Amino acid sequence: MDVKQFFRTLSEASGISGYEQEVAEPIKEACLWADEIRTDKLGNVIMLKKGQGAKGRPKIMLAAHMDEIGLIITKIEKDGFLRFSTVGGFDQRVLLGQEVIVHGKAQLTGIIGAKPPHVQTQGEQNQAVKLEDLFIDVGYDTVGQVQELVRIGDLATIKREVVDLQGSLMAGKAFDDRAGVAAIFECFKVLTELKHEADVYGVATVQEEVGLRGAVTSTYGIVPDLGIAIDVGFGDQPGLPESDTIKLSQGPGVAIGPHVHPKVYERMVETAKEWNINYSVDPSPSPGGTDAYAIQVTRAGVATILLSIPLRYMHTPIETLDYEDVKRTGKLMALFIAGLDNEFVEGLTCF
Amino acid sequence: MKTVIQRLTEAFGPSGFETEVTDLIKTMVKDHVDEIRTDVMGNLIAIKRGQENGKTIMFAAHTDEIGVIVTHIDDQGFLRFSNVGGVGISTLVGNRVRFASGAIGVIYQEKGDWKELNLDKLYIDLGADNKEEAQKLVSVGEFGIFHREFTDLGNRLIAKSMDDRVGCAVLVEALKKLEKPLNTLYFVFTTQEEVGLRGARTSAYGLEPDLGIALDVTLTGDMPEARRMEVSLGKGAAIKVKDSSLLVHPKVKELLIDLAEKNSIPYQMEVLDAGGTDAGAIHLTKAGIPSGAISIPTRYVHSPSEMVDVRDVQACVDLVVALAGTDLGGVV
Repeated sequence: MDVKQFFRTLSEASGISGYEQEVAEPIKEACLWADEIRTDKLGNVIMLKKGQGAKGRPKIMLAAHMDEIGLIITKIEKDGFLRFSTVGGFDQRVLLGQEVIVHGKAQLTGIIGAKPPHVQTQGEQNQAVKLEDLFIDVGYDTVGQVQELVRIGDLATIKREVVDLQGSLMAGKAFDDRAGVAAIFECFKVLTELKHEADVYGVATVQEEVGLRGAVTSTYGIVPDLGIAIDVGFGDQPGLPESDTIKLSQGPGVAIGPHVHPKVYERMVETAKEWNINYSVDPSPSPGGTDAYAIQVTRAGVATILLSIPLRYMHTPIETLDYEDVKRTGKLMALFIAGLDNEFVEGLTCF
Repeated sequence: MKTVIQRLTEAFGPSGFETEVTDLIKTMVKDHVDEIRTDVMGNLIAIKRGQENGKTIMFAAHTDEIGVIVTHIDDQGFLRFSNVGGVGISTLVGNRVRFASGAIGVIYQEKGDWKELNLDKLYIDLGADNKEEAQKLVSVGEFGIFHREFTDLGNRLIAKSMDDRVGCAVLVEALKKLEKPLNTLYFVFTTQEEVGLRGARTSAYGLEPDLGIALDVTLTGDMPEARRMEVSLGKGAAIKVKDSSLLVHPKVKELLIDLAEKNSIPYQMEVLDAGGTDAGAIHLTKAGIPSGAISIPTRYVHSPSEMVDVRDVQACVDLVVALAGTDLGGVV
């Protein structure tokens, strides 16, 4: 299976936080390497690849979120224009001029309109348009026409196809964090060639963008011995200091910080060195922004690590990454998992 | 129903000290339930048993209200205080507070610019001559609430702590109407919602229902120059889509809309940008519980004069009753 091609499908599917079904379905269908697949009550897709170890084998959880940020309709104006708010932290500066899909009773194509520059005041020209002043135009001109198809609380996603840049770089929407889901697939693919003692639970989590919610409940249900969160990290780009970014095409960032178990970090880095997989050290002093934190503080605590796929222009419709980094992340996880045994996992409980 | 709302809103129950409210509710519902108990956090749990093929639903409405806590008493007998829950500074000056002892005081401000007003510049005057006199009335660490009576304007009602005693009233009224529901119902009158959904968190953990539904107030946008919000008084029960604590499970949202349509219950959709409800805590309990919320449209939330429309309250009661008897197969 071509995971890169599958990643394109995932990116172009719609799945705002809380409404991930359209992404969940292709994930469940495509994961041929799993022994069991189930969906939990909040919609997390849990893919189990059983290990070859004896009963009582360690449980490893891989978590990447499949939800994306998006828009939610808050008002239908008399002239048919739609007002909206955001679900998750959208960069509202990039919304102007976007094509969107409004998910009402039917899928309606719309655009986010703007005031022409000719009639903007000088103050307006120098400032980004506020969210409350933006609107979606679906082409209808009365409230009645729109109300037949759209209801307050319906969602809208950005309409965006993946584009290939030079080399193996790609740009599109919702790479955050469908790239992480693709990395889990790449990991499973490599694992089929390897022996591993541990049971591996690949989880495509829901509702990360609104507060790590899917990771909270899926971790509680799985009760893993070790958790690996795969998310995107700030890639290098003009305007950002080198110290705050991880370089594209250099493999995943391996986080070190309070939400990372030091022994897991050590083993992850050793594995990367042993197999010549590029990685960057990603200092991560304040936990909270990724599923790793939710996993770590579940029940009596879980040894956790975070791998970050370098990504430019986060939370815009043109998120950019190098697909080779996704593959490297998958391969690193697979080799790490293959090297795990009960002894190592039990050792994690003695910090 | 108005009497129930009046009695509930005039009761004393800042977060952590809700016993007066839960005791009152107990007297109102005890003859209509199969089992009633309180848990370690003070949540009042009233259970109505359903039929064998039913599921379990937890309905949550919080009993606590926002208020103040005394932090210091000065030599002249004036009190300094901090907030309990999200108290709006602009609602405080000139308002009165009441303490558990019954002592009443007025809040006022030091000299200074209105725009720079903050809690440090406010004090409570109990009418005491000095520190000793004040200490006979209240002590440091005591909790107070807004002192305000219930007012009946006809369809519209004004009171303090409509948030969320009106939600409690919805559950009380629904309980009275329910005979033999299909589903087993946990009516939970929760504590400490205003300080972080705490009572709902522990009660949901203990009960582990199949479905969680919060009954709470929501904001409206139907006042002059109000912030954009497509919820109005008098237009029916508000079916929540999202707030900052919860994205309602799509199947739960659709079920509530269907029930409202089928039973001709007036409803409106609610998208709340800021604020949370007990359902936010319930849905993240254990391995996850599908959850939603039915909201009572309310103007001037977190002020001493919260306004609701009694017709909306009735619509919420009807929706709760309809849900209690609905087959949840395929939803949860």
